[in-house]
Amino acid sequence: MTFALSRRTLLASTAAVALPSWLRVPAAFAQTKGGTLVVAADTEPRSLNPAIVASNGVFYVASKVVEPLAEMDYQTGLRPLLARSWDASDDGLSFTIHLREGVTWHDGEPFTAADVAFSAMEVWKPLQNLGRVVFKDLETVDTPDDHTAILRFAVPTPGQLIENALPALTSVLPKHVYADGDIAENPANLEPIGTGPFKFAEHKPGEFYRLVRNEDYWEEGKPYLDEIVYRVLPDASAKSAAIETGEIDLTAFSAVPLTDLARLEATDGVTVIPGGYEGITYDLTVEINHRNPILANVDVRKAIAHAIDRNFIVDVIFLGYARAATGLVPASAEAFYTDDVTLYDFDPAAAEALLDEAGYPRGSDGTRFSVSLRPAPWFNESRAAGDYVKQALQRVGIAVELVSADPGGHIKAVYTDHDFDLAIGTPVWRNDPAISTTVLYQGGLPPGVPFANQYGYDSAEMNELIAAGASEVDPAARVAIYADMQRLAADELPLLPLVEFTFTTVARERVQNVANNPRWATSGWADVWLDA
Amino acid sequence: MRVASLIGGGLVCLVVLVAVFASQIAPGDPAAMVARPMLPLFSPGHLFGTDQFGRDVLAGVVHGARISLLVGVAAALATLGLGTAVGLAAGFLGGFADAVAMRVTEAFQTVPTFLLALALCGVMGASLTTIVVAIAIASWPLSARLVRGEVLRLRTLEYVDAARMAGLRPLSIALTVVMPGALVPVAALFGVTVGEAILVESALSFLGLGDPNVFSWGAMVANGRTLMRTAPAVALLPGMAIAVTVLGISLLGDRFATRQRPS
Repeated sequence: MTFALSRRTLLASTAAVALPSWLRVPAAFAQTKGGTLVVAADTEPRSLNPAIVASNGVFYVASKVVEPLAEMDYQTGLRPLLARSWDASDDGLSFTIHLREGVTWHDGEPFTAADVAFSAMEVWKPLQNLGRVVFKDLETVDTPDDHTAILRFAVPTPGQLIENALPALTSVLPKHVYADGDIAENPANLEPIGTGPFKFAEHKPGEFYRLVRNEDYWEEGKPYLDEIVYRVLPDASAKSAAIETGEIDLTAFSAVPLTDLARLEATDGVTVIPGGYEGITYDLTVEINHRNPILANVDVRKAIAHAIDRNFIVDVIFLGYARAATGLVPASAEAFYTDDVTLYDFDPAAAEALLDEAGYPRGSDGTRFSVSLRPAPWFNESRAAGDYVKQALQRVGIAVELVSADPGGHIKAVYTDHDFDLAIGTPVWRNDPAISTTVLYQGGLPPGVPFANQYGYDSAEMNELIAAGASEVDPAARVAIYADMQRLAADELPLLPLVEFTFTTVARERVQNVANNPRWATSGWADVWLDA
Repeated sequence: MRVASLIGGGLVCLVVLVAVFASQIAPGDPAAMVARPMLPLFSPGHLFGTDQFGRDVLAGVVHGARISLLVGVAAALATLGLGTAVGLAAGFLGGFADAVAMRVTEAFQTVPTFLLALALCGVMGASLTTIVVAIAIASWPLSARLVRGEVLRLRTLEYVDAARMAGLRPLSIALTVVMPGALVPVAALFGVTVGEAILVESALSFLGLGDPNVFSWGAMVANGRTLMRTAPAVALLPGMAIAVTVLGISLLGDRFATRQRPS
């Protein structure tokens, strides 16, 4: 099976890259124009519409075609893309966006405020996985002229939140393409039309996606590349070999085995780049089902926190490419992060003492009680963490039975059926606590909302903090509310944050301008170029 | 032929001994993270080294023998039990029941055994029991057809007629007169089925559909696969264990099958 696949993908790549690299004409100047960048794709998302499915798998391909209003930036925080500037009203009821002029869609139509209004009202708010939360109080979008859009909210909505949501949540769709018919069934979801630096060219299922340069891109002189080809290479070892031989130029999202990184770093012409993912930091967590009366006891949860060695997970499972977490806001999110919270050191003796006091002494076989543990199956590291947590808990007398399932089965079991005691989860931080972090603590969500509080945890105090943060328009006051939330979360431990991790990119050295913004792999790549 | 079967017998004995004395050879839980990760081969106290999480590879290989033999034998018994029951019923009842049973076996035989087991494990969830059940459901038709053929042949023989004339009830004839004879080729199938079951279990575990609570050879190969370039032994040793076990069983099984063949 593996052989057939690699041969097929090899053929695909030779078809896409017409000439071997040594035959290409070398260019003489810095920031050379031209060339084909071949990158590895892990998955083939069913939809390539980032305005509906705001996920990294979709952005990886589609963010080069469909642009958001602004992108994250290391120096300025946010870099304007389709928006030139924006300002929030003091009462939090409106958010004015001034749009770039002279931008055209890939099919030649002009880009106007009507497209933004359409995307916001018809797509981000009702259809988008993240937008449903952030834009829930969006009432209408006024377009006084072709290049101004004013978002109007029914209740005060923090301008800080909307600003932080610009990179991931505001991919703009062309109204003239989507206005008629069912948005979810539009053919442009598979062959996207945007304003981005690259146009969608073709997708051969199981083989590759191909994007080509947008000659009419609004930023003068960009993009530099002629083409981007995403070769579908699901196997981690195959990706590792392909980058070594130069068959591909780049793999993102730590797609090669971590154990290969040292060897690849030492390979001529290959470089390992750790940054460029701060805006999409993941957390590895132990999710806890509070419907289990034993786990509903906060002292038991604290004992579990003391029983797990976060440094072991960082050093052995992530080989150092992670850091111990103090909460679900990552340390790289300087605006919101606080480490002034209760910390739980690795201390098995303290764990055992807490469990004894909680009324769960070791039985005659050394076991206090048994729990099931479902590790999220999508990362090697989340599965490995399941193996480790089992060992760590057994050491303090908690028997653990691992339960494995495919991704769909795992999501259903944990987030719909609540059929678990413990799970290893991987929630993602998206630049503001109110986008995808507070939902992990908020009580009263209906079953079936994935990556959210399906844990049976419902604290009035926590719910109040979350509601306050969602409507506080003063940025400093809002930061203070979320600091309180982090403290409360550390005291009550509704779920255990273990480590925070981002990814690494492995690239051939000739690829330039890699990892130059905090969402690099999911940004537009207009400034990426190939050194001949 | 004799040499081959001696080698087969030796290998099978070795694997059985290792499985029986696994806890003496490598005490403790093979999944325990006991030492520094990635120790090389022949490290003191860890003859086969350790994997990327500090698990002893030797412990994994010897305890894996238990899992493989357990699954292999259990799945073979379940497969042959199911197949014999269906084959006996079909051959003896004949007519409509026979036709239905044979069409069902054909339907099953059109689907590759491994794919069917894969689908069943995906649906039923991963545990050793579901793997045994899945293998049995996926591979019973062969033995069912074999038993049916034997029953059809045997029921025309004189000693069966004699039993009938002696006034034995049909059920007793089926179970006491015909079945012993029909079981001979099934017994020859036993070794092959054990070997196949071990391979299917390894492949399922390799694909992550095995029981995550046991440390099986297939799962070890899957885990070690990412280390192939840096520490090949982590994947190769359990892989060799699978190869040695299946080779031993099939050499021995061949010998047994030839001996059963009427000369």
